[in-house]
Amino acid sequence: MKKLVSIVLCLFILNSGFKLGNTIDTNAKIKAVFIYNFTKYIEWPQSYKEGEFTIGIIGETSLYSELIKMTETKKVANQTLEVKKFETPSAVTKCHILYVCKDKSSDINDIIKKLKNNSTLLVTEDNGLMEKGSGINFIIKDNRQKFELNKGNVEKYKLKVSSNLEALAFTVK
Amino acid sequence: MTKRIYILFISLLFTQVVFGQFIGKDAVSKALFYLQKNELDSSKKYIDEADLDQELITLPKTWYYKSLIYKDLYKLNEKDNKNSPLRLTAVESLKKLTEIDTTKEFIESAQKMMTYLASTFYNDAARSLNPQAYKNAEEYYAKYRELILLSNTGTDLLQQDIKFKLALASMLNQDLEKQAKKDSTKIEEVKGVYKMVLSLDTNNGSANYNIGIIYYNEAVDLINNMDYDMDLEKLNEMQDVCINLFLQSLPYMLKSYDLKYNEEATIKGLENIYHGLNDTEKEEFFKNLEPKN
Repeated sequence: MKKLVSIVLCLFILNSGFKLGNTIDTNAKIKAVFIYNFTKYIEWPQSYKEGEFTIGIIGETSLYSELIKMTETKKVANQTLEVKKFETPSAVTKCHILYVCKDKSSDINDIIKKLKNNSTLLVTEDNGLMEKGSGINFIIKDNRQKFELNKGNVEKYKLKVSSNLEALAFTVK
Repeated sequence: MTKRIYILFISLLFTQVVFGQFIGKDAVSKALFYLQKNELDSSKKYIDEADLDQELITLPKTWYYKSLIYKDLYKLNEKDNKNSPLRLTAVESLKKLTEIDTTKEFIESAQKMMTYLASTFYNDAARSLNPQAYKNAEEYYAKYRELILLSNTGTDLLQQDIKFKLALASMLNQDLEKQAKKDSTKIEEVKGVYKMVLSLDTNNGSANYNIGIIYYNEAVDLINNMDYDMDLEKLNEMQDVCINLFLQSLPYMLKSYDLKYNEEATIKGLENIYHGLNDTEKEEFFKNLEPKN
């Protein structure tokens, strides 16, 4: 009998599972919350306040699927959200926010040329891109995601930056 | 008339045969008489009477027979009753016997009874390992321990204790995972049981691995439940909480890795924790250790 019970006990000793595989990329979710907040602190010109609010992504990132998920429940003012993925700088079309993945950082100059005459918030995630024209750049500080803000670069695209966003940025240039 | 006298004589003779042998006998002897006849209820009646006798309660045989009678009654009537009063009385009697049986007259038989009763408590502990009755499981296991140590004070129960605590933690953890919204008190309770295992065996792979996962999953749940609308100040606070949870998870998972416990899952776990900590270099290190399919 005791042997049988020992087996019962052994059956109970199971290991728990990790959640990443079947749920979310934690970092992508945090970035998505940041990006949605940027829409509250940046003002686009009148002509951009109609139609869909477009977030473009260039490069490979799990942020894409996270943003798609966000479009199911969120709007920017009255504008419905849409997410577009671009393979190359030349494929980029009009969007309110363009997120440049790290693997596409070297294309920044071509991307900036493509965005000329648009009102696009350029968001990046690599060192040194603020100096090359990025408006907001994600950085890691003490294991946490933070962002740098280059107000001048943002305003070049006829966007207005709320002072509250400046207060929340890790650095402002 | 002769017939009546004859009947009276026969009746007196019968009474003498049945009760005569009790003349001058104490309650324990009477209890033993019925015990030998397997009349346990009568036997119990007399052994309970012995409780009231100031002389009998000082004798080891009183407590030996009391434990034997109550143990047999438990086996017969209350084997499926996890809270059997008969079993508890048997245990208390055995404890009393151990205290006063200085000559160890009954030790061998008493040890067998203790082992038997201990096994019944162990079985009940195992059967009670469920979310509703686990507090009882802990009590039954404590009784099992007490009896095993009463039977042989030198018994090493360390491995048995670890096995029981792990089974308890595992059951609670499985139950927790079924809940959509986790109760933080329950989370702490599960962690507490795994930490008890680690206090017994710091190199226990399962406990290290599972505590690591619990901390990690707490952070993931918080992030998972974040609203996209959450303001940036709140988001920064949440990041602090989550990073702290990832950092708490880390030493346990690293220990699991050192112990080569559940290697594939541990490596995946470390990759995920470093991802949460935004430590790309270490994330890549563990990603490269993953088996290539």
